[in-house]
Order: sequence, then C-alpha cells, then structure tokens
Amino acid sequence: MNSREPLAIRIASRGVQAFFLLGLLLVWFVATNVWHISTILLPNPLNVWQQLIDVVRSGEFVGDLRITLTEFASAFTIAVALGVTVGYSISRSRYLIKVFEPLFSAIYAIPIILFLPLYVMIWGLGPPSKIALGATIGFFPIVLNTISGFGSVDRTLTSAARSMGASDMQMFWHVLLPAALPIVLAGLRMGFTVALLSVIGSETIAALAGLGHRIVNLAENMEMARMFAYIVFVVAIVAVLNVALTMIEAYARWQ
Amino acid sequence: MAVTHPHARTAIVRTEAPLKRWFLRHPGAMRGLVIALLLLIWEFAARFLLDSDFISPPSVVLMSLGTLFATPGVPKALGLALYEIAIGFALAAVIGAGIGLAVGLSRFAHRSFMPIILLLYGLPQVTILPIFVLLFGIGAASKIAFGVSHGMFPIMISVAAGVQKINPVLRTSARSMGASRAQILYHVIFPHAVPSFFTGLRLGMTGVLLGVLLAELYVSTAGIGFFTSLFTQNLEPTRLIGLVAMLAVIAVVLNEIVRRAELHYGRWRA
Amino acid sequence: MTAAEAAIRICDVSHQFGEIGQARHVQALKDTSLDIARGELHCLIGPSGCGKSTLLSVIGGLTKPTTGSVTVSGKPVRGPMPHDIAYVFQESALFPWNTVLENIVLGMKFQGVPKAKRRDRARRALEAVGLEAFAQHFPGQLSGGMRQRAALARALSLETDILLMDEPFGALDEQTRMVLGEDLSVLLSRSHKTIVFVTHSLGEAVFLADRVAVFSARPGTIKQIIAVDEPHPRKPSFMTALKFHALRDQLYGLLHDEIRKSIAETAPLRRRYDDTAEKNEGVA
Repeated sequence: MNSREPLAIRIASRGVQAFFLLGLLLVWFVATNVWHISTILLPNPLNVWQQLIDVVRSGEFVGDLRITLTEFASAFTIAVALGVTVGYSISRSRYLIKVFEPLFSAIYAIPIILFLPLYVMIWGLGPPSKIALGATIGFFPIVLNTISGFGSVDRTLTSAARSMGASDMQMFWHVLLPAALPIVLAGLRMGFTVALLSVIGSETIAALAGLGHRIVNLAENMEMARMFAYIVFVVAIVAVLNVALTMIEAYARWQ
Repeated sequence: MAVTHPHARTAIVRTEAPLKRWFLRHPGAMRGLVIALLLLIWEFAARFLLDSDFISPPSVVLMSLGTLFATPGVPKALGLALYEIAIGFALAAVIGAGIGLAVGLSRFAHRSFMPIILLLYGLPQVTILPIFVLLFGIGAASKIAFGVSHGMFPIMISVAAGVQKINPVLRTSARSMGASRAQILYHVIFPHAVPSFFTGLRLGMTGVLLGVLLAELYVSTAGIGFFTSLFTQNLEPTRLIGLVAMLAVIAVVLNEIVRRAELHYGRWRA
Repeated sequence: MTAAEAAIRICDVSHQFGEIGQARHVQALKDTSLDIARGELHCLIGPSGCGKSTLLSVIGGLTKPTTGSVTVSGKPVRGPMPHDIAYVFQESALFPWNTVLENIVLGMKFQGVPKAKRRDRARRALEAVGLEAFAQHFPGQLSGGMRQRAALARALSLETDILLMDEPFGALDEQTRMVLGEDLSVLLSRSHKTIVFVTHSLGEAVFLADRVAVFSARPGTIKQIIAVDEPHPRKPSFMTALKFHALRDQLYGLLHDEIRKSIAETAPLRRRYDDTAEKNEGVA
C-alpha cells in the first residue's frame, strides 16, 4: 500500500522522466532536421550547441554577465538590508504588524514590474533603474517573511527563556533568531529569486546592456541559434546561483 | 520628578489618550493614515524638491486621469490588456486544473511528472519572452500565451497537492460506507481539492498578471508598452504614472476578487 | 459459542506490514482467533502497536489479512460490507466541506439508501446523539466531542447490526469521554447492536464492555478475555463500585508487563536526578 514503495516503481518513474526529457530533445532534433521547420521559428539544436560553445569560448558574455550580476547583487543587497531591518523593527510590536503587514502583502500582490517605466523615467535606461526595480521586488518577500518569522515566535519559548533569566541579547541570539531563521531564510531565498528574475526581466524590456538585453538584441536580429544559446546560458547561470544559494543556506543552518 | 510639571503631564494624557486608544484599537485606520502620510510626502517632494520632468505629485496625476483617458488609444489598450488577462486566466485555470488533476490522481504520475513540472516552473521564463513574441506576434496572442505560461504552473501544483494531500481516513471511511470509486472521486477528492484549486487560482492570477504585463511592456510598438515608451520619451510623468496606477488598480481588484473567492471556498478549512 | 450465536468469527488472523527481511517489516497480528456474540460490546485493549486497530480494520474489510479469515453474520469478509458494518474512526472522519446533516445523508447515499428515506433517518440519528440543533453546522465549527457524536450519528443512520469503533474518544479529554461513554451505554441498551470497541483506556474498557480482550505486545495476540458482568445502561455510579476497580486493577495487571515490553526501547527512569552531587564533590 502506500508505505511500500517498491524499487521498481521508483526506477520506472525516473525512467518516465528521462524518457520525457529525451523525447523533448528528440522532437526538437527531428523537427529541425527531418521536418525542416523554419530555423527562424526553431533553430537546429546542434547549431545552438555550437553557438553556446562559441559564446563561452569567445568570452563575449563577460561584459553582459558582469552588468547583470552587479545589478542583481546591488538590488539584492538593498532588498536584504531594508527588508530585514524594516521587518525586524515591525515584528517587535503586534500593533505595527497589524498596521504594516496587510499593506506590504497588498503591494506584493501587484505586479511590481509595472513600476519599471517610472523607474526608467527617473533613473534612465542604465543599471540604476534595474537595481531599483530588483530591490523593490526583492524587498517584499524578505520583509514579509522577516515579520512573520520574528513575529510568530512561540510565546512558550520566550516565556521559558524569561523565566530562566535570559537578557534581551540572550533572548535574541538564543531564542528569537533560531526560531525565526528558517522563515527568514525562506524569505531571503524568495527575494533572491524574484530580484534576479526582475533584473533580467527589466533588461529584456528596457536596457542598454546585460544578459536580458543581449537576448532581445539577438531576437531582433533574428539570430535564433545564438539567442537560444544565450537563453541556455542564462538558465545555467540562474541554476548555478541557486545551487550556490542552497549551499550558503545549508552552511548558515549548520552554523 | 513627579513634582516638576504634574499639570502639564496630565493635560497631555487627557487629550491624547482617547485618540491614541482609538488608533490602537483600529490598526486599519492607522494604516490609512500611513498611506496618506506617504502620499503627502510624495506630493510635497514632487512639488518642491524634485524635477517635474520626471515625477508628478499624486494630486496632479489624479486630476489628469481625464486627459489620460482622452489620449487616443489608451482606453483601447487598457481594455485589451484586461481582455488578455481574462482569457489568459481562464486558459491557465483550465489547463492547470486539468493537468493538476491528471498528475495528482495517480501516485505514479505524481512521482514521475511533478519533478518535471517543478523544473519547468523554476525556469526563468522572462528569458524566453522574445520567443513568445516571435512565435505569436505582437498582438494579444503572445501576451495571452505568456500569461498562461506564468499562471498555469501554480494552479497545476496546487491542484495536484490538493488531490494528493487528502487525509486517508476520509477515503477509508467513504470506502467503509460502500462508496464506489466514482463516488469517492466526486464526493471526497473533488471537494477536498476545491480550496487548493482556489489557492492556485490566486497564485495563478498573480502569475497571469505578471506574464501579460511583462509581455505588454516588452512590446513597445503596440498596446500598453507603446504608451509607456511614448510617455517616457516625451517626459510626461503625469500620464505615465496615471497609466501605471490604472493597471495597478486593475491588478489589485482582480487579486482581491480571487482572494475573496479563495476565502469563500476554503471556509471549511478553518 | 456456536457459529449461529457469533456475530463475528475471527479465525487465526495474522497480519504483517512489509515483506520479511525489509526494514519496514512489522508483524502486527499473530494467530488471533475470537468470537464476538450478537449484541455484545467487545473491547479490544492493549499496548500501542499491538495490532488491535489492525484487527478492527480486518473485521471491517478495510485491510486484507496476510493469513486467516473473518466471517460476519456467516458471510466471509472480502471487502467493506456497508450493509452489515458501520465504522467510527479515531479522528474525525467527517467530510469537513459538508455540514453534519450532509455528512450523514452522504453516508447513506454511499450505502445505497433510497433518497426519500435519507433525510428522515438522518434526523433520527441526530436526535439519538443529541445533535439536532447542529445539523447545519460544519464539522470545523464543532468541538471534538460533538464531532465524534456526529460521526456516531452517521454510523447509526446506516442501521447496520455491527458497529466498529476505533478509539472513537481517544482524542478527547477525560471528562468528555466519560460523558460520551455513558451516552453510548444508554444507546447500546436500546439498540442491541454488536459493537467492537478499540481503546487505550482501562476505565473506558471496563465501563463500556461486556467482554474485554487483552492483547499482548507486538506481535499482538489475545492474552486473555475478561467478562464484565453488569447490565447496560451503566450508571456513572458503576465507576465508583468495588467491582469496577477490581476489574480495572486486573486489566492493569495483565497489561503492565506488555506495555513495558512495547516501550522497551525507552530506558526506565531508574536513577533519580541527584542534585546533592555537586556539594558532595566539593566536600571530597
């Protein structure tokens, strides 16, 4: 029944997954090589692979990658600094939580990407508008999770610590922080993802440089194979950053 | 200390206490006050501190909403965006619920396909926005498609989870009372998945809004994106802020509708 | 007991979870045989994991035993028998999205009761458990005790000869379960149902049961059967009677070693914490 999961079933489901992904690749290959679908719609996978190798070998990506990563790092830093301090300050009072939490969650539900035209108007097409947008979008999940992390620490724990004579500092380091950390970290992770995506997204919509802008440029010039190569490259970068984040997170938890 | 100014102190306490207590009991009113204060700061800064080429005070934006709507093409663009959101949302709901049910109802399908769904959901979809526009053109189709591709995954995942996470005792008890497979599906599994479906719809709405608006902003030759680029180039902050505010209001209203629906259909969970 | 007298015959039932040699392998029940008479309330009691709930679900046809067989009213059990057996589960098995009344009506729909009869029977079941006023409430709006009353009403409305109750009051507080126990005894004296009742509580077993089957630790098998010779409906005063306490002590005596065996992994709290040690060290 449910508790018994024979090995065969586990292998079979892995098989289905592999089959599905390989099938997708195969369809792509057949579509371009056998059915001869226009390369403007779908480039040849081998061609994409060559372009990807060329992008990496030539080092052409370095400038755009540096811009995108700098924008993202600045945006995320601002979002974390503001989100955590504001969130922690609000979480210290039940009243402030009631005042601000609904406000933040209401704004968070709006697609903040809408602010991009305003930011572009104020800060121009360069990196500052991307940083501002990434920081704005990243701020909300961080502040909301910081509020809920520190605001929902079990009262039994704080009472127990008080009864044993914990000082405010001890309370923070030994009770509040460990209790809130998982939720706060989840918020940081969400902020990380949305800030990264909004930086790339805003480069796609209005920018002078960066990976998102590069993809748009290639699309406009109909260099489909190279554009696909860049998409694969960006997906890989995002994946690498996520893995790095997971490792940092594991390290932080272990600490 | 108590001797210094006893009268002054009590006077302050007497005049402030009731108001303060009222605000303490009505955090919503305080929230309103905070919003008003922020608008006031914006108003003041825009009028006296910042360059009026780049930002307009909220009062001016509000007063000029009329001229925004009088701009040829703006009402049509807003209506088209609303239409794209509606169609995109409906498609995302149907596709998401269909695939979510199919994946959720079988343990094997869940094991096999859930990782693939999560993988696809985790991909940075903004990178393929240009492909959508190349494939579907600059009209409504590409925006609807991009909205659907953002909105369907959360619905899929919620519905599958709602079907999977049913308390086994409910199934067992239905079985003990003689329920057939179809009856269990209709009377136990479907109703259990309804709140998850609406949670998915709420998340899906956020996704559809994001997808449609991303695509709208990306295509600068038509629709909303045309006007945001136009107003930005012409340095018309008043109309730009007005347009963005209108879209934000649409987003807030749509979000609120699905949130209410979620609360309504999830009542029994409380 | 002859086959005709027995409402439920359990013959050499064994059940194991997982295959032998697997990490998850558990021998839950071993060679258990038991006859349950018509109209009796039979309690199954034993340490955690002794397989008493497994036995109940084997009787109900919800679990297929590894070996052995069960017959109910002369028919072999091969799956759920909604016309003979109704079930009350430990946690609330009411459908939370349906009102109390809808839950009861739905149970009868599953069982195959014609539509015209359902409402009326539901009303009567609700009256029997004293929940008429709460027909339109959702389970989430009721207390734990009321939810279990509603679950009992749903089981009663199915009008089966046999009622299986799997620690129905297990999640409730002591006072609530005492009151519900009294009500159940009154109900039983009127309805002449056969009830198999799994419980952890010694007092509940003695108070409710006509006979109590005491299970050994895992792999569970019946160690002894104790008869409680006291007519239903039982009064609260029974709980203070000498007979009650004697039976309760007898049960505890039987169970004590088995409970120790089942929690053998946990070290006994033998050594008292000695807060004079520090001072003694100072002296030495």
